[in-house]
Amino acid sequence: MPGGTANGAQPATRDPTTGFHLRSSGQRLLARLFAVADQAQASLCAMWLDLDRFRQVNDSFGFAEADAVIARIAGRIRSVAGDRATLLRMGSDEFALLLPVVETPDAERIAGRLLAVVDQPILLGGILFRPSVSIGLTWRHAADDPLSLLARADRAMGEAKRQGGNRFFVVAAEPPGATSAAWSARRDLEIESVLQASLATGDLELHYQPIIRPDGSIEAVEALMRCTVGGQQVSPLQLVAVAEKTGLIVRLGEWILLQGARCAARLRAQGCPTKIAINISRLQLCSASFLSVLHAALICARLPPDAIELELTESLFVDASPVVQANLRGAHEVGVGLAIDDFGTGYSSLANLKDLPATKLKFDRAFINELPDDRRAFAILSAITRLAGELGMVVVAEGVETAAQLAACEAARVDATQGFLHAKPMCEEELSHWMETRKAR
Amino acid sequence: MDGNEEGPLMDTRLVGPERVETALEANLRAIDIPPRPLIIDRIREEMMQDNPCLRRVGQLINADVGLAAGLIRTASSPSFGLRARVRSVADALMLLGLEVTSRAVAAISLRRAFPNSGHYARFWDASARIAALSGWLAQELDLPGVHAADAYTFGLFRDCGIVILLRRLPSYLQTLARANDDAERSFTAVERAEHPTDHAVVGALMAVDWWLPDEVGEAIRHHHDPAALTPVESDLPTLSRRLIAVSQTAEYLLQQLRGESRTQEWQKLGEACLLLLGIDQEDLRGMHAEATAIIEAVD
Repeated sequence: MPGGTANGAQPATRDPTTGFHLRSSGQRLLARLFAVADQAQASLCAMWLDLDRFRQVNDSFGFAEADAVIARIAGRIRSVAGDRATLLRMGSDEFALLLPVVETPDAERIAGRLLAVVDQPILLGGILFRPSVSIGLTWRHAADDPLSLLARADRAMGEAKRQGGNRFFVVAAEPPGATSAAWSARRDLEIESVLQASLATGDLELHYQPIIRPDGSIEAVEALMRCTVGGQQVSPLQLVAVAEKTGLIVRLGEWILLQGARCAARLRAQGCPTKIAINISRLQLCSASFLSVLHAALICARLPPDAIELELTESLFVDASPVVQANLRGAHEVGVGLAIDDFGTGYSSLANLKDLPATKLKFDRAFINELPDDRRAFAILSAITRLAGELGMVVVAEGVETAAQLAACEAARVDATQGFLHAKPMCEEELSHWMETRKAR
Repeated sequence: MDGNEEGPLMDTRLVGPERVETALEANLRAIDIPPRPLIIDRIREEMMQDNPCLRRVGQLINADVGLAAGLIRTASSPSFGLRARVRSVADALMLLGLEVTSRAVAAISLRRAFPNSGHYARFWDASARIAALSGWLAQELDLPGVHAADAYTFGLFRDCGIVILLRRLPSYLQTLARANDDAERSFTAVERAEHPTDHAVVGALMAVDWWLPDEVGEAIRHHHDPAALTPVESDLPTLSRRLIAVSQTAEYLLQQLRGESRTQEWQKLGEACLLLLGIDQEDLRGMHAEATAIIEAVD
């Protein structure tokens, strides 16, 4: 059911171009979603999407072409949003997306994937047009009515636009009266100042989540950033977004590389050798000095290159920039592992797979969420696992939370799994204790 | 030279029993570059408070006699920019403020965190003289935005990557000799032709870890890079460029006056440095007498 909702929609209320619900039916649909969420005592996430610079397309090509583009983009949005989402067309180039029972990390992941799928060129009258979208993300507050929820999502979108577009911005659930224009900017400032202070006082922590092979041995541990602002955990995605915007990312990235390498070295010295996986952002990989910083961290920690693995999104692997490609090649040549992170979310291309210098492929949690019930998801998982294996890559499934998902992953013969079922991310001390305990077993 | 020659500053008993390290942890540190001394974290924590308590910081510093003496000596040195005489840690804190005190503590900790024997001692002596001359030059030239404490700290930290690479890479000593003699390629280009990284990058990494100001870290990263010094090509902050110019000039003075720290850097960077500082060779010659006194004060 394209753009549909599990709650049964009236075909007459659909927009013919996108197949999404019409704005006029928004209030009724939301009231129903609110009631379902109340019954299940579940959260409700709202996103407001507004295409960037879309007037140019209208002005230059006319409405027929513009409609064709809107239809393409709507299809992309639908492919990411999935069946549980309710999709509405709110204006000529504006959409709303409502997702029940979605927590912060997943919602931000979905927003990130929406950005990625929209940001793909479309051939338009012989010209390659590159669309992008600004997304506002928020959650339902107990005091919200449908309009106040959408208004907050719209406000968050405005902030994303103000920051240059092609990004998402999160506004936490707040009572409808609490709106403040300066709020979002303040939140960013708050994160920035906490980030600065955290780098200074060591409050910024790396946590580590193990990746486990079917025989129980440890494939690697992934280093994840932890930072608290105003008593709330800031998601790594948001942290990286602020750090990139303020230029702190260079220092933060170097700090993470050094701390991660040090942790791996200490674990080795304790007799628990393990590979450490570190997330690398685009800005870091675009730096001509990336390789010498990477080597400096390895040398400082006395760590061999194959003890470290860099996790990168697929779009970075296929980035055309010569600096990025040289950095990837250079890391690969000395034996540093390269993992394709969040595989299966963007425009994953099988044709690309054979050419990438990747040593590992990490299936996104969104994929694993569908297991074990979704036979198609399982078929893709096992086929890609076999293919990647033949290309010499290790396959990891992320976000494994239930025994049934683990069983499905193992049936698909993935090489290792990661998720709450095995262990939550832990601080170094807890990780070291956890490893010792496993060794003793 | 196995990394356990750290002074009492690294003794974490001074900063509360919850952070006391076990012997095992101390041994593990031997595999690492010197971690930031915890006392710097405590000073930073205090700085984050609405009403920082200088007395509490003073107590922490006083608990480490070596550090306290080092701070009084550093703060009293003409290179650090204070005109007043400092008699106690409390004086130093009052006159320097927490920000500069944390810089001074980092500078004192640096040498104590590294081995101090053999050819390392000569290296540190030269660094100490370059640091002192840099702090003095910054005041003498009255460069806008360049605090003597920053120039001093930069002079001291600038080459700490060399010590780390000497301990890590067996052939680095030969590389160092070649880099010192090369009049064509940049110092770091010689290093990178033989190793996967260079001392400027390692030093910048340590600056991040030790919470030195960004401009100091960036100056460390680029201090052998001629393009970084020219205003048109460089997007380095002005402060970073001036710090580099001050320390390269300080090193040149040391070479002229003592014949120490022989490198080809002045041939490659000297002109850009003088331009940045707004002085010429004649001005430099006029500084010889005072510079000699500064060097002697360090000895």
